[in-house]
Amino acid sequence: MDFNVSADPAHVVEFRKEVGAWLAEQFAGHEHLRWSASWSTRENDEEYKFRRGLAEKLGAKGWLFPLYPKKYGGAELTVDHQMVLETELFKYGLNLSHTFYTLARIVAPVLIRWGSEEQKTEFLEPITRAKICVWQVLTEPHGGSDIANCQTKAIRDGNDYIVNGQKVMVGHHLPPDFLWTLVCTNPQGKRHENLAWLHIPASLAGITIQHMNLMMGIKNAVFFDNVRVPAKYLIGGENNGWKVASTHMELEHGGDGRIAVDPLIERVIDYCRKTRIDGKPIIEDPGVRDLIADMMIELNTLRRFNQLIYWRRFAKKPHPYGGPQQRYYQRMMRLRNGERLQAIMGADALVQDLSVHEVVDFEYAVRTGPGQLHGGGTLDTDRLIFARRLGLGRPTTEKAPETD
Amino acid sequence: MDLSLSETQEEFRKVAADFVKAEVPAHQMTQWYKNKQTFQPQLVKKAGEIGWLGMMLPEQYGGSEVSATDCAVVFEELGRGPVPGPLFTSGILAAQIIFEACAEEQRKILLPPLCKGESIVVPAITDKAAYWGQEAVETRLSKTASGYIMNGTKPFVFDAQAATSFLCAARTEEGKVVFLVIDAQSPGITITPHIGFLVSVAEVRFDKVAVPSSNLLGSSGASWTTLQAALDRALPVLCAYQVGASQEVFDITCEYTRTRVVFGQPIGRFQRVQDHCVDISIYLDQARWATYETLWRLDSGMPARAAVHEAKAIASEGYYQATNYAHMVWAGPGTDYGHPMMAHSVLAHTLYQYLGTPGQHKRLMMDSLFPRA
Repeated sequence: MDFNVSADPAHVVEFRKEVGAWLAEQFAGHEHLRWSASWSTRENDEEYKFRRGLAEKLGAKGWLFPLYPKKYGGAELTVDHQMVLETELFKYGLNLSHTFYTLARIVAPVLIRWGSEEQKTEFLEPITRAKICVWQVLTEPHGGSDIANCQTKAIRDGNDYIVNGQKVMVGHHLPPDFLWTLVCTNPQGKRHENLAWLHIPASLAGITIQHMNLMMGIKNAVFFDNVRVPAKYLIGGENNGWKVASTHMELEHGGDGRIAVDPLIERVIDYCRKTRIDGKPIIEDPGVRDLIADMMIELNTLRRFNQLIYWRRFAKKPHPYGGPQQRYYQRMMRLRNGERLQAIMGADALVQDLSVHEVVDFEYAVRTGPGQLHGGGTLDTDRLIFARRLGLGRPTTEKAPETD
Repeated sequence: MDLSLSETQEEFRKVAADFVKAEVPAHQMTQWYKNKQTFQPQLVKKAGEIGWLGMMLPEQYGGSEVSATDCAVVFEELGRGPVPGPLFTSGILAAQIIFEACAEEQRKILLPPLCKGESIVVPAITDKAAYWGQEAVETRLSKTASGYIMNGTKPFVFDAQAATSFLCAARTEEGKVVFLVIDAQSPGITITPHIGFLVSVAEVRFDKVAVPSSNLLGSSGASWTTLQAALDRALPVLCAYQVGASQEVFDITCEYTRTRVVFGQPIGRFQRVQDHCVDISIYLDQARWATYETLWRLDSGMPARAAVHEAKAIASEGYYQATNYAHMVWAGPGTDYGHPMMAHSVLAHTLYQYLGTPGQHKRLMMDSLFPRA
């Protein structure tokens, strides 16, 4: 076994130097924007602008999707090159999945898997070159995690679909270019067989977007009022939406993987070294040490789960329950670590600190616990998928959908 | 990055899996655990023939000089049995301590018979039930004209009944902790197996036991630092054994959810039962990957001390919790001493504090990363 993510084979040694130097150039003067890999809940336009610009420059080189064919905006490089890009970006707290706030990393593989050749040619490049921002638009007010119970209708009318309905708790505070969504094409049809997947231009008439101020920051309600969507935006064919959704959700639900270390623990250690009680740094306190140990072990476990999934994905060794397992673990871990932070530092853990980036802000870490229990399906659906994949109580096991 | 086993490791695993199937079938294994007959001499002999005892040692001492990961792959499969007896205590832990502590001459005397399974050396380190550390060594050595007299009690010695000799930690008159081997047949040694929710553990009393000076390991009895170096290589192998055992608990429990019908349907259709399986998988997989990452660090020559403590804490706690959650699924049938679950449950509780509790290893991990002032 080899856990080393930076043991470069000969053919990428030069590439690492190239990427390292290029990134240093991009970040010159923007060093304060390091560690901005998460989905920010802060409305920081400077950060957004910088990151979106960086993504465009990466995209222009084909580096956002280095494995993809050049005709789709990729660079036709190897997994080893991709690892170099991930690890070099990570030095700045970024990764390919979260260069800026778009769902590109999930949308593009789904398009590769389910799009027609014309669709790939037309839709992929703007995404892979970061020219556009795509939102995932799935949750409905009455459906929650049950996205197959989709009430947003898309009824065929000639060469168009007429879309009516509402999605909630999606996107972020800046406007999208495309809405990536599941719709019901046949309200009388059988569950799972009455759905379709649409890639809808956000500029179409009849679309209204309204901010929702939530625990995890700005999300939105999206209203579709007789929106006329040309049929060329149908992905994967009519009534095939659930299969497309399965690929999408596997990527969203922990099937993506990542090779990154959570920087939060370093700041916790730093806090415990600087904070003194009776002249003694609290890192010497046995109770605090026990809390840090548990926090560290669980963050390490999550890092290993993420790395494992990342490797399985690129080694083409799909695992039946790695995704839901990671997701469930991550959610429960955040809750436990949130409490540990408060146990160590009391109310200091509840005060927002705008002088540090969000991903190392204690307040964000505490709020993330309850705040991220449900996005993209509750933790109970994670366990449900897990049980099906394992075939608990069933004669057959459910396979993980294909991802790329 | 490659998180798969090598071809050789896959072969090692297969040999160990076949061994478990042939030599430790579930019905036999449960009887051994039920009757507290966990020392099965034939298993040690066969393990010696295959080359599993001392397998990380250089060939000149009887080992096969395999990597820590290679060794762990074998012990993971043995854990699936769970194969009882001193394969780890003598074959890995004692072997590594002797190798670290001794010079050429002593190694040549002690290690080859250990690797063949002709001698079984069982470590007896601390004198306290839970505490792990040299502070807990209280057994005394008094100097005599020809050597030493040892007095003390090692209250919980794992695999004591298998021992042909004990590898003991003891305190000299000057207060120094030293290590020595003592023939288990020496006059003054009393071995009393424990009865309770534990297995393979006995109290070993040393009452005025005469020990020749030449039995001290190394020229002067080595030190706790030497022991730590040996533990760095040995503990991850024990972790792998616990990972294998947890995997077996997970597999048999998932299978049970498919076959056990209650309230008119297989119990695996109940979401609360499913949740127990999810929890087992997390304890299992966090132990698995902490263990194999640690092994990779060791085999790559990277600093591994903190990782070793982390893995020991996670794997011991993981096996323990895996059995707890499995009991939620198995309910009544899993409480029969004739059921494999009980062998796992008792063993998991026994290994929890063996060579230190999870809590202590977490503290040792912290001390290793952030030394206290």
